[in-house]
Amino acid sequence: MTDITRRAALGAAIAAPLAAPALRAQALTKMRVSVIPVLDVAPLHAAIAQGYFAAEGIEIDTSTTAGGATGLPGLVAGQFRAVFSNGVSTLLGVREGLEFRFIAAASRAMPQPPDILAVLARKGGGIRTGKDLEGKRLASNTRNNIVWLRGMAWVEKTGGDWRKVNTIEVPFPQMADALANGQVDACVSSEPFVTAALQSHGEKIERIGWPLSETAPGGTNAHYVGIAPDLAKSGDLFDRFARGLHKGVDWVNERRGRPELIELIANFSRVPAERLKDVALPAYPKEITPAEIDELVATMQRYGLSGRYPTGASLLHRTAQA
Amino acid sequence: MRRVSSGVWLVLALLLLWEVSARTGLVDSPNWPPLTRVIAVLGRDIVSGELPLLVGSTLARMFTGLAAGTVAGVSFGLLFGASRLARLVLGPTVELLRPIPIPAVIPPLVLFLGLDNGMKITVGAVTAFFPVLTNTAQGLRAVEADQIAMARTFGVPAWRRLSRVTLPAILPYVLAGLRVALALTLVTTVVAEMIAGEQGIGHYLVLMQFAGRAEEMYAAVLVLAFLGYALNRGFVVMERRLIGWFFATGREG
Repeated sequence: MTDITRRAALGAAIAAPLAAPALRAQALTKMRVSVIPVLDVAPLHAAIAQGYFAAEGIEIDTSTTAGGATGLPGLVAGQFRAVFSNGVSTLLGVREGLEFRFIAAASRAMPQPPDILAVLARKGGGIRTGKDLEGKRLASNTRNNIVWLRGMAWVEKTGGDWRKVNTIEVPFPQMADALANGQVDACVSSEPFVTAALQSHGEKIERIGWPLSETAPGGTNAHYVGIAPDLAKSGDLFDRFARGLHKGVDWVNERRGRPELIELIANFSRVPAERLKDVALPAYPKEITPAEIDELVATMQRYGLSGRYPTGASLLHRTAQA
Repeated sequence: MRRVSSGVWLVLALLLLWEVSARTGLVDSPNWPPLTRVIAVLGRDIVSGELPLLVGSTLARMFTGLAAGTVAGVSFGLLFGASRLARLVLGPTVELLRPIPIPAVIPPLVLFLGLDNGMKITVGAVTAFFPVLTNTAQGLRAVEADQIAMARTFGVPAWRRLSRVTLPAILPYVLAGLRVALALTLVTTVVAEMIAGEQGIGHYLVLMQFAGRAEEMYAAVLVLAFLGYALNRGFVVMERRLIGWFFATGREG
């Protein structure tokens, strides 16, 4: 009997210090965030790596989905608390009555080139402008997202009629091959695929435009999105999330062009670091202005994504406002 | 023997064509690396333990789904075969659901089941369910009425007739369904991993594709090809052992 109690006491004595870190880990609130492995999400990964979220009592569980569009549906289903999403997809959901709210900015176009989107065409193919693309095939990764929208704006800006351009959906990794082999006449590509395409097919293809900085310099691009009832209920959690993320933004902005940032991006995207050296980065802002959302809505209306949208100001959660 | 070796030659010839077309610039793209580089990467990632871990997790999900789908498929198949009413009531629903490509319903499954194991195992189970169901029902109809009648004449109780006469008699049909299900379940489990969540060889494949690492991507494809082949071979061996009597009667599986 005494033997058993002694053993139990011994067990408790050994277990107590072992359990302590586990208890501390339990104190962290788990938060699942949907991301895609693109340059825009560098601040989130920086904040995780630097322990900024842990310092706020949050443990971020990223769910990276490279291909499919499970982010926003997963948010509606309650699978995620926050989702990285391009502005157009988010606003289309809002138009359909879903209560998406912007929690924080993710990326914005640079005021001038180089920036993360580029129009690529075949060398000597005779395509220089949107006007040349009328009746031709332009590849975009998806229809009705930010890449497609800025691509259409570029077509119009350079004298073409966007309705006369045939958009074809081609995944980013396959665009360079499709272009070099003549299956499409031009493509709107995104970094790091632009740099990779110019490295591997540089003798055949070239960059003819910068859809972001030519049509919407400094324009909004992608954001972290939450859903209104959850934001109202767990306001404090999202305040802490935004604080951690903002520290990640600072970390990234202080290291633009430095090897630590390249290493961070290589780690989460699995793109080899040497291929990331010449890659253009987006601007990494913290806040979102109502004006930039209104600009995006106006552009969407212009290119056929019409309908009734709420004002930009009403879609910004308090953490997104300056 | 000769048939096997000529088949192997064709595989080797195709692999050689892959190597030559990539080396000579016949196909000039970073998305078409030479086979030897893919194999080097494959070896490296097997030794590092990354690929075995991913494949193991995919297989675990696949077999869980397969088992669940098979149990459900056999149960419903027996019900279908035994009850005309069940066939009339459930038949049209099954016939409508069966042709739906599983990848098309993954988004709603995400809505109800999330992104993790639950959803992926369900995808596997649903995939396995239909071929097993239809084969079981068909098998039950094909069981010779004489066998059942004889068992009944000898006064064998109903549950014993099921376990000793009916189930062994339909086993070849169930196994034929299972063999189809095995191949399909591997495919759909990987597809589910490609679409959602950060799990398994399917997610790895897409991540590598987007990272522009063609060697790693093809290494995963080779692993899947080998896996599908090995599973099928293993199944055939198991089938011969389980129902050797069926083939011994001169019928082909």
